[in-house]
Amino acid sequence: MELKQTRALRGPNLWSRYTALEIEVACTNDECEIDKLSGFVDKLRAICPGVADLRAPGYHGPLTMAHVLEATLLALQANAGCPLSFSLTNATPVPQLYQVIVEYSEEDVGRLALTYAMQVSQYVFDLCRGEVADHSPAPDVAAMVAELREMDEDNRLGPSTGSIVNAAVARGIPFRRLTSGSLVQLGWGCKQRRIQAAEVDSTSAVAETIAQDKNLTKHLLHAAGVPIPHGAPVKTAEQAWEVAQRIGVPVVCKPQNGSQGKGVTVNIILREQMDKAFEAATIAARGKGPVLVEKFFPGSDYRLLVVGNKLVAAARRDPPQVIGDSKYSVRELVNILNADPRRSEGHATSLTKISFDDIAVACLAEQQMTPESVPEVGRRVVLRNNANLSTGGSATDVTDDVHPEVAARAIDAAAMVGLHVCGVDIVVENIMRPLEEQNGGVVEVNAAPGLRMHLTPSYGKGRNIGEAVIQQMFRQGDDARIPVVAVTGVNGKTTTTRLIAHVLATKGLCVGMTNTDGVYVGGRQTDSGDCSGPKSARNVLAHPHVEAAVLETARGGMLREGLGFDKCSVAVVTNVGEGDHLGLNHMHTAEDVSRIKQIAVQNVSPNGYAVLNAADPLVASMAPHCPGKVIFFAQSPTHPVMVTHRARGHRVVYVENADIVLAEGAQHHRMKLADVPLTLGGTLGFQAENTLAAVGACWALDLSWLDIVAGLKSFNNDIKGAPARFNQMSYRGAAVVADYGHNPHAMRALVAAFDAMPAAEGMRRTVVISGAGDRRDEDLRQLTRVLGAAFDNVILYEDACQRGRADGEVIGLLREGLEGAQRASFIEEIRGEFIAIDRGLSLLKPGDQCLVLVDQVQEALQHLSQRVEAG
Amino acid sequence: MPPGPFEIQVPRITFLRGPNMWTYSSVLEAWLDLGVLEKWPSNRQPGFIDRLLSVLPQVAAHHCSPGVPYGFEERLRDGTWMGHVLEHVIIELLELSGLEAGFGQTRETTRSGTYRMVFRVPDETVGRTAFDAGLQLLHAVINQQPFEVEPELAKIRKAIDEYYLGPSTAHIVASAKKRKIPHIRLNQGNLVQLGYGALQNRIWTAETDLTSAIAEGIAGNKDLTKSLLRSCGVPVPNGEVVHSVEAAWEVAEEIGLPVVVKPRDGNRGRGVMLNLRTREEVESAYAIARAEDPDVIVERYIEGDEHRVLVVGGKVIAVARGESAWVTGDGQSTVAELIEQQINSDPRRGSADIHPLEKLNPITNSVIQGNLQRQRLTTESVPSTGQRVLITANGNHAIECSDLIHPDNAFTCALAAQIIGLDIAGIDLVCKDIARPLESQRGAVVEVNAGPGLLMHLKPAQGEVRPVGDAIVSHLFPEGQRGRIPIVGVAGSDGTTPIARLVAWLMQLSGARVGVACREGLFVGARQLERGDCAHWEPGQRLLINRNVEAAVFENDPMSLLTEGLAYDRCWVGIVTDSKPVPGLDEQLMTEPEHRYKILRTQIDVVLETGAAVLNADDDTVLEMAKLSDGDVLLYARDGKHPALLAHRESGRRVLFLEDGFLVRAHGNAVADKINLSRDLSPAAAALSHEVLMASIGAAWALGLEAQLIRTGLDTFGTVQPQTLVIA
Repeated sequence: MELKQTRALRGPNLWSRYTALEIEVACTNDECEIDKLSGFVDKLRAICPGVADLRAPGYHGPLTMAHVLEATLLALQANAGCPLSFSLTNATPVPQLYQVIVEYSEEDVGRLALTYAMQVSQYVFDLCRGEVADHSPAPDVAAMVAELREMDEDNRLGPSTGSIVNAAVARGIPFRRLTSGSLVQLGWGCKQRRIQAAEVDSTSAVAETIAQDKNLTKHLLHAAGVPIPHGAPVKTAEQAWEVAQRIGVPVVCKPQNGSQGKGVTVNIILREQMDKAFEAATIAARGKGPVLVEKFFPGSDYRLLVVGNKLVAAARRDPPQVIGDSKYSVRELVNILNADPRRSEGHATSLTKISFDDIAVACLAEQQMTPESVPEVGRRVVLRNNANLSTGGSATDVTDDVHPEVAARAIDAAAMVGLHVCGVDIVVENIMRPLEEQNGGVVEVNAAPGLRMHLTPSYGKGRNIGEAVIQQMFRQGDDARIPVVAVTGVNGKTTTTRLIAHVLATKGLCVGMTNTDGVYVGGRQTDSGDCSGPKSARNVLAHPHVEAAVLETARGGMLREGLGFDKCSVAVVTNVGEGDHLGLNHMHTAEDVSRIKQIAVQNVSPNGYAVLNAADPLVASMAPHCPGKVIFFAQSPTHPVMVTHRARGHRVVYVENADIVLAEGAQHHRMKLADVPLTLGGTLGFQAENTLAAVGACWALDLSWLDIVAGLKSFNNDIKGAPARFNQMSYRGAAVVADYGHNPHAMRALVAAFDAMPAAEGMRRTVVISGAGDRRDEDLRQLTRVLGAAFDNVILYEDACQRGRADGEVIGLLREGLEGAQRASFIEEIRGEFIAIDRGLSLLKPGDQCLVLVDQVQEALQHLSQRVEAG
Repeated sequence: MPPGPFEIQVPRITFLRGPNMWTYSSVLEAWLDLGVLEKWPSNRQPGFIDRLLSVLPQVAAHHCSPGVPYGFEERLRDGTWMGHVLEHVIIELLELSGLEAGFGQTRETTRSGTYRMVFRVPDETVGRTAFDAGLQLLHAVINQQPFEVEPELAKIRKAIDEYYLGPSTAHIVASAKKRKIPHIRLNQGNLVQLGYGALQNRIWTAETDLTSAIAEGIAGNKDLTKSLLRSCGVPVPNGEVVHSVEAAWEVAEEIGLPVVVKPRDGNRGRGVMLNLRTREEVESAYAIARAEDPDVIVERYIEGDEHRVLVVGGKVIAVARGESAWVTGDGQSTVAELIEQQINSDPRRGSADIHPLEKLNPITNSVIQGNLQRQRLTTESVPSTGQRVLITANGNHAIECSDLIHPDNAFTCALAAQIIGLDIAGIDLVCKDIARPLESQRGAVVEVNAGPGLLMHLKPAQGEVRPVGDAIVSHLFPEGQRGRIPIVGVAGSDGTTPIARLVAWLMQLSGARVGVACREGLFVGARQLERGDCAHWEPGQRLLINRNVEAAVFENDPMSLLTEGLAYDRCWVGIVTDSKPVPGLDEQLMTEPEHRYKILRTQIDVVLETGAAVLNADDDTVLEMAKLSDGDVLLYARDGKHPALLAHRESGRRVLFLEDGFLVRAHGNAVADKINLSRDLSPAAAALSHEVLMASIGAAWALGLEAQLIRTGLDTFGTVQPQTLVIA
């Protein structure tokens, strides 16, 4: 089996809405006859457990290695703990060439799993054919899965971030990871917010710095009447003891800027204890700030989680401990406890194994015990003086027990420091009574607290922290989306995109627009080149100014990577015609192209619209695939699709008596087509269609008719406003049009437009044309076949970008198209676009017409403008 | 003159932390016992004036009471006492250390030869250090001993550095003061609260409550910053992270020479090498950067000058252009020596906070080393006469050019700050000409800095100082906001506690969470935080720091006013009930009614122009204070025929008095409201003295509370006990 190509489809795509790898593999004859190998599946499952049926339900064709790869790749990832389910194998028109599509949850994990799946499939294949030497070892699938699992744990969102992102997704808020870490963008454009683990973007660095400084925190909490352990920073052990005596023992000694309980000694009563504790704290402080001595509060450690001004969870945190039974030694009791299947080595479960290390032994010694001591019944033996989950501690949910006054103090503490998501550490005997009654208090305030102990506590009920954070960040009902219009189709995409963006901008919105010329935000170009792919779409949706996005969504990007967004408000399909770029990526027919363009329609939001060309049967047939509603447009109101849709009370847009009409049930709006400058007084039919599509999109966004009219009237289609989109110029009395058309459909539309232009007596037509190398031979010939029937002079030039074709090959094909041309009488071949343009212009006489089909858009247009200006 | 040595005794030093009888701000007050020197003022000690002026010549120029330059010298020659001289010496020492002191006073007490000397100083440690230095200096001059001023100044400067605000923060605080926004320092460093209680915003130098911690993290990650900026169309240099010297060269070739090589995480330009054009240069630069961080970035070198653009709240506030540092050879000195002579001699260079530029150390600075290496020089080379040697290409932002920036570039910088998510950001932008769009000259944003330094804009080498502090303050407090919660202060000795409680009760009925600091304790809303006497500065500060507090009432007893100062700088309503003597004043040598006037007037001095004084007209000393209020005045007296009340009504103003069992509120000629003292009061309110009721209702009236609300308050006062959850 030969791996031809691997693509990561990172957004909704041809196959599904899931992120998936699209793998192209070529199989040999033998590899296409897996059914002939006896016991294949059993052997495969013996090595790689969890492989599902190789044959999907309803599939009756032959089993191939592609199917094996599909099943193995899915199984490996599933075994590693990735949550996924989608896969399929698709035969291409090329014999023995298959596309295998398998969902992934983490791209890197998917790609590594692919490497392993190839190895495993190949091994089992060889094994069944007896081609594996006896001594050659089977692939170590357990090790592979372990590696994948570890990689997945590293790559996927951590539990804190994950819980917030899940809550966002449940609300319909789109998200995007900005790093491989935990930094996530929630929402789009001007509505976006950011989170990083359990931090939200509104929390200030000042607040976090304050939380780091325990003394300063205490100062602020004291001001608000939150009980705190009084104390002081000390520089020497002597000072430490002085402070202890002043505030009264027992005391705690710890580094002021420490973390994770390092160097903390509690319950110090004696001078010797203080000396040791001071040394430990000094070492842990590592010169970063002083050592702190403060009042020791008796009781248990509690972590209260405050989000905004609400207490959303509370957990009691117990240090690793065993309870004596007068029978077993401490060591044995620990072993019994560690046998609990909920205790694992890592962070993934709600409990971690207690490690019997030096710290544990030292801790026992403080209790006058050794690991071999047998504690009496009911005696609590602590194995560590901190309650961190990672060292074997446990967390018990006590959210419902917290006394309202205790909750109020925790909320005060968070507000005083300025934290929006805040872990408040409280030490108190009884959380069900006010702190003030029982010598308890707040000992620490944590920015970016871990949420694991609340999401999956060791004991008690898990709390939906993510939802609380999302509620704090977004108003009820706000999904943080901006209007997104995806425009696709074969011709007219760019003009339609520009027109929609213009109407939205006229209304005062900051519009982000992507198209084949670049990316524009608020009228400023932020990127150049062909920007009709998902990356540019993502960039627009990440731009903080953008209030609405209009995204030209070309076939290439959708095939390569999927969509750059999960859902759009409006999908516009201008036309499919007889297709474009046929022959690439196993897309041979117009139906194939239509399937791709349909991706945008399939991913319209349920309360959104598809705006479809009723006159194009392939486009019209996409309507049932739209999860939202449909607006049809067509020049003719009498087209059967239009008539039916309108009769059902749905929205349609059409031309009637030279008016653009917008109709829904009995409601109508009209404006003169001639008032739309883009249509050149209504003469350019294809521009009229683009206008209808744009009107439909704006209507789908619920823009008022007045706003739409104002936008249509002010849209400028010159070289600046819409480069290479039927830009009309006058050169020495001749009419010159520059356009970027490059397929037969577009050629026909252009010829129709030329035919609609007033023609002088004895007028001759000239066209300057090249062709892109990645079209099918037949399509290239078709270009000139159309033009040859309508133009007198044809200047052929060589494209700058041959896209894989040999020199002269494209021109040869274009020439073939001109054979037997009805009208073309003068044909000339030229190297270089500028020279070709100059040559074309040199043929013009007053009253003539000239079409310049530009290739290097910006450069060619600049050259042409200069020539025209010079006259 | 008897033989020396002479010594001034200092029986007492007090730091007054808030507004006080001397001035509106904190002062250090020292009692000086001159002893025999009482008989030897300045003009009677032979040679004293000349000796003083030789040690501290600048002091002569002080205006002092004559109010003209050299007024103080005049006073010296006419004869003035040593306490007064000490005051001027300390003020001069503080000013020489870089603080604007500017205020001092020395007054004789009722005890002969004992003076109260005060000077304005924002921090106690700084004040005490300056006091000690001044006293030593004066003793030395009197006793004809030599004295070195410079070491003492160094001590004061060190104290300022350590205990007072840094220059950037001090600048922002000064801008806040200009806008009449109060401030409180929250730590020994630069963490400052602007505004009070619920209306506060915190700043920590150039970081604010609105500076997102996540955004700071992003700004600290150069790769992430670049990719986010690039995705929104902000021009950035293309580059890549490399981990080997080979990869460094490969990437350099790929993106095209010249390149920059720098550590991913570095600060202050450490390990950054620019304009590398050969493989050797790239490789040696890699080694230098690698020493700072294992992740090394190779990126396109953007030609031009480095500019620092300060963005505050979405607007470009200041632009400074980096100045390259060169030395010119003299044929004798080494490069290291030339740097010392020609660059480090600049008084702006130094290590303290007040220095906008760092001193350059060519031995430890790898950038300088790299630059020298590329000029085939070392620190020990001796350049020939006239040879120009580049020391650093960038990194000294000093030339102010805010007015030149092209609007497109300003737009781009503001956008860059917004993309990262910073409200205050320093954008590092490299281009040849800031007045032309970046795109037209292949310029780029190279870094976005959170918490940017402000000194380069405050102390530019060339050009005007930019109003950076004003911009930051406006960003936090839009026009019209001053961060002031309603504050009522009650001074006097009679019934001040119940007045504080009753006023707070009336205010909280209007919906605000009210804090009260009084003799009965500390209260916020329905909760008591502390028992015992809280009519002091410290509990008062707690209320102002507390973000839950939306309005506050303070009881100020005369002793606390005298020894601590007020907790707040200004108030909406100031009440003075009486000027009766209180225990402790005698010991403070404040025995006379005019002394009590001086102490209590502070409460009225701080009334805002939009606020009001509420004064007991039955006490002549208190009535006298009416003229001190910047705002309105309300008078109350038992008898409505009190001449002061009549006159006050005559001028159309508000008064309160008693009449036939009613408490009458009158505004000019009109009666605004009459409260039946036997029917309209709750038992707790009825138990209060009529003066207490008049003062409290006067305050509520001055605060603009509705008549109905006041009536409801009087009818319900004392019915709800605050929840007492005081720490055991």
